[in-house]
Amino acid sequence: MSITRRLFVSGLAVTAVLPTVRAAHAQDKGLIAIITPSHDNPFFKAEAVGAEARAQELGYETIVLVHDDDPNKQSEMFDTAIARGASAIILDNAGADATVAPVQRAKDAGIPSFLIDREIKESGIAVSQIVSNNYQGAQLGAEEFVSLMGEEGPYVELLGREADTNAGIRSAGYHDIIDQFPDLEMVAQQSANWSQTEGYEKMETILQANPGIKGVICGNDTMAMGAWAALEAAGRTEVIVVGFDGSNDVRDSILNGGIKATVLQPAYRQAQLAVEQADQYLETGSTGQPEKQLMDCVLITSENAGDLETFALSS
Amino acid sequence: MRQAILSGALACLMLPAAACKIVPNPDPDAQSEASAAQTDEARMAVYVEDRWQGEVLPVITDNTVSYEALQAQLDEGLDAAGAAHGLRPEGEANPWNFVVTGSGTVTEAKLDSRAAKMQVDMDGDGSADVTLQLGPVIRGTALRDAMPFIVFTDFRDQIEFAKLARAMNDRASAGLEKPEGDVVGKEVSFTGVFTLRAAGDTPEIVPTELSMGGAP
Repeated sequence: MSITRRLFVSGLAVTAVLPTVRAAHAQDKGLIAIITPSHDNPFFKAEAVGAEARAQELGYETIVLVHDDDPNKQSEMFDTAIARGASAIILDNAGADATVAPVQRAKDAGIPSFLIDREIKESGIAVSQIVSNNYQGAQLGAEEFVSLMGEEGPYVELLGREADTNAGIRSAGYHDIIDQFPDLEMVAQQSANWSQTEGYEKMETILQANPGIKGVICGNDTMAMGAWAALEAAGRTEVIVVGFDGSNDVRDSILNGGIKATVLQPAYRQAQLAVEQADQYLETGSTGQPEKQLMDCVLITSENAGDLETFALSS
Repeated sequence: MRQAILSGALACLMLPAAACKIVPNPDPDAQSEASAAQTDEARMAVYVEDRWQGEVLPVITDNTVSYEALQAQLDEGLDAAGAAHGLRPEGEANPWNFVVTGSGTVTEAKLDSRAAKMQVDMDGDGSADVTLQLGPVIRGTALRDAMPFIVFTDFRDQIEFAKLARAMNDRASAGLEKPEGDVVGKEVSFTGVFTLRAAGDTPEIVPTELSMGGAP
């Protein structure tokens, strides 16, 4: 949190106080604004780091901002980017509906937006929307979950934030697989809003009402970490937990025999790709790609967890 | 809707030189009314039914390669085979999809499941080389992703796009005459689509044509 705030504050300070500093530091190609949810979730931090590194390699100045999933804050950040005369915006957005207006505003100001991770509900406004193939990834995670469960038993699903399309699509992918097995019974399905704390609290409550559960499938890794902590605290480490994201935290848990599996989203590469498309678009007027693009996910188990580092597989 | 068709027709009249095709692209109001009345599932089922004969099956016919020819290509690498016969959406790291036709001997079958499958030996060595997914529940998005006219950008979001994949799979499964009884050891002929992520993976084929007992 402290890192996030510092970056955010320093971003504001640069904007408000030192608008001319840019000229002193500016490289040839202008400014790229990188806007993501809170870096408390390492997934979003990896995106910001990946995008920033690639942008600087390509000769851009960068400003990294955090909207904390607050559409109002996000809107202010778009105003900041527009006021700073950014060349492009790399965005992991704060809501599929609420983000349409600010992206349009940037477009009207001549600033193209390149979206990663989450879609918005309109096409033709952003230049690129590059998202993980969540449906494919969720089916991979669900197949592993079903196999770990031995195709039977009571289980729980922790869902992500409802306003986020990714919560719905992952759940749909899970159920397209799991619901084929009539002996797998979902005894509770609740949103923990992508949050580790909420994952812990929800899991504690669910466990009291359903002490017989055998598995928990989660819409992301931070909720899986929360659920696992609650299960550990209750001495229920035999419960099977599967996450989604491929974070280093869950990797370590898998390697230590805790959480059983997750699904890697290539977040680092995705952010870099968005910057590359921004660069190509700024140089040539086209990315050469359709607006909406899917990137496949990879199943992570104890077999390949050792190759995972910061949302990328080495091999 | 009638208005949309009329204006489409008018547009055609006014553009005599251009090739004309009426694309159902109603104005936003009409669209929101329509989507309020229909679930994603229902809308995607209609979308698929409208295009199955006229667009989907022609893509399959035009891109079909024999199992043996494809295997020979795959020996030279997945990308070579993909370049020669594959279909895939644009974008980084999208896997190849292939339309393949062939016949072989059933080595194993699970026909009483919601996700019915048959394993088929294609080269006569007694071990299974491909899986035929008979459904009704079919895994993957091969059929959708093999269609050049289907572009993700044209759909509202991943959820609608996933329902489209389901609807394509449902339509393929519904069009098959399902084998019954003991099929192990019998010959089966098929044409179908599959996604291949690595050259050595077992193809999990979604058949669009299937017949027991040898070539049709």
